[in-house]
Amino acid sequence: MNDDLLICRCQEITKAEIEEAIRRNDLRLMREVKRQTRAGMGLCQAKTCGHLVMGILAAESGQAPSEVEPDTSRPPVRAVPVRVLANRVADDDRD
Amino acid sequence: MRIEMHPILGEAQWGPKVTLMVDGKAVDAFEGEPIATALLAAGRRVFRHTTKRDEPRGVFCALGRCTDCVMVVDGRPNVRTCVTAARDGMVIETQRGLGHWGTEQILGEKGEQGHA
Amino acid sequence: MHETEIAIVGAGPAGLAAAVEAAQAGAQVTLVDENARPGGQLFKQIHKFFGSKAHHAGTRGVQIGRNLLSEAEKAGVEIRLDTVVYGIYPDKRLGLACDSQSEDLKAASIILATGANERPLAFPGWTMPGVMGAGAIQTLINIHRTLPGRRVLMVGAGNVGLIVSYQLLQAGAEVVAIIDALPGIGGYGVHASKVRRAGVPILTGHTILAAKGDQAVERAVIAKVDSSGQPIPGMEQTLDVDIVGLAVGLSPLAELAWMAGCQFAHVPELGGWVPVHDEEMQTSLPGLYVAGDVTGIEEASIAMEQGRMAGLTAAQALGCLPSQEAEIKKIEVRQRLDALRVGSFGDARAIARQRILSLSVPQGIREG
Repeated sequence: MNDDLLICRCQEITKAEIEEAIRRNDLRLMREVKRQTRAGMGLCQAKTCGHLVMGILAAESGQAPSEVEPDTSRPPVRAVPVRVLANRVADDDRD
Repeated sequence: MRIEMHPILGEAQWGPKVTLMVDGKAVDAFEGEPIATALLAAGRRVFRHTTKRDEPRGVFCALGRCTDCVMVVDGRPNVRTCVTAARDGMVIETQRGLGHWGTEQILGEKGEQGHA
Repeated sequence: MHETEIAIVGAGPAGLAAAVEAAQAGAQVTLVDENARPGGQLFKQIHKFFGSKAHHAGTRGVQIGRNLLSEAEKAGVEIRLDTVVYGIYPDKRLGLACDSQSEDLKAASIILATGANERPLAFPGWTMPGVMGAGAIQTLINIHRTLPGRRVLMVGAGNVGLIVSYQLLQAGAEVVAIIDALPGIGGYGVHASKVRRAGVPILTGHTILAAKGDQAVERAVIAKVDSSGQPIPGMEQTLDVDIVGLAVGLSPLAELAWMAGCQFAHVPELGGWVPVHDEEMQTSLPGLYVAGDVTGIEEASIAMEQGRMAGLTAAQALGCLPSQEAEIKKIEVRQRLDALRVGSFGDARAIARQRILSLSVPQGIREG
């Protein structure tokens, strides 16, 4: 198996690093994997690596795929520049 | 390579020709097309180099989700070139790592420029 | 904030169809899409759909998309493009963001039609420029009329892999091979025959070992696999390619449904985690509906019918459509959906769908 294989493309986290973290800390949740490894914290916010990480987590922690849910979804679902959020159309600006 | 004539789609309809400055070199584009396709047509496949491993990345999803195609556009880094329209005179640079902010360009502007 | 009666997230086939039904029933409809153009994946489908009339047989996806769009415009749907719905909040409020500003959109009902995402396949070299999704290739060649390379290895012999390979040939590229780790071809025979006749070898029981090159893909290494899917030593081949297309499946893009707190089920046949819904496309949350590939990967025709169902149900719930008329229309949609799911491919999905329906709350209990 290729230990050097990148799983999280954005943060450049390898399969080995993810497996290591799961084993070392007996991780069971996607949230834990994300926080320990940063996988899923990059610009794409796990859109690309999410499924790969869930598969690795299931395999390493002995859970069925149906037991591994994605991490909690929080706004914003896409990277949004702060200036856009700051430039808010107020209630009374619209007719 | 451009697909000028297509058996189903017919003749390609392009916007007006514009020029992009990519890493200091002039690259032809059609106004309104994604920056990424102009670069691909010009034979360029490497759009950025990653932070940790300095590895080349290019177009992966082509619809603005994977963020692998990001480059520094008019002083702004992390611009998704596959969903950002090419405009005449755009200054585009291969992004290295997290990129850099072209402060003069951004602080000097009045309105919004570019797309993040 | 802006208010509307029915907010629809995603202007692909499901979202457009939902918008048309709801607006024709008299509801105020706002359709939001993060892309510059509506139509989702429909405008890339330059091939003719086949099957029955319900499948829109004989019509190209592109034309179906144009028809839907013009119906939506005629029905008075407010279409907001280049606008991302970045969040969904408890009081049926959506957070919208475009290039320069953000705002809230409050709706009486929300339909999520956010579609699906391509699944990745990780292997040594998969991050190199030149490795891309099959959908990415389709976007580049059919929408932007630009070839990303000349010689392609397509990984995945399902419908997407087969169709995109054929479209690559139409665009003037060479498809060196289509490979699939499975022993059989996953896609429809019609598509497989077309590419075979055009001279493209389909190598089942093969997997990709690596993509190689200096700064971008220059070659790919593939290998025959044994019955347990393991590469057989000595059976490697190196192919001279500059593009590796990944067509290994799709999975629903359901972040907003998760965020809203919908009940989910894990259904591998439909792409993994899918929001639970009833026959009328209502989720576990009253007034929140889902339609299209976000509910599970099927086909454009099914996405459209689900969209119609959601649009009708939402309009009926708001009192825009009299119940009797709504029920008749919904029966018609249900019949078309049943017709679309016949055949071996459809059967598996129909069975998977039943599992989801059995998990949903029975109708009539939470109606407001």
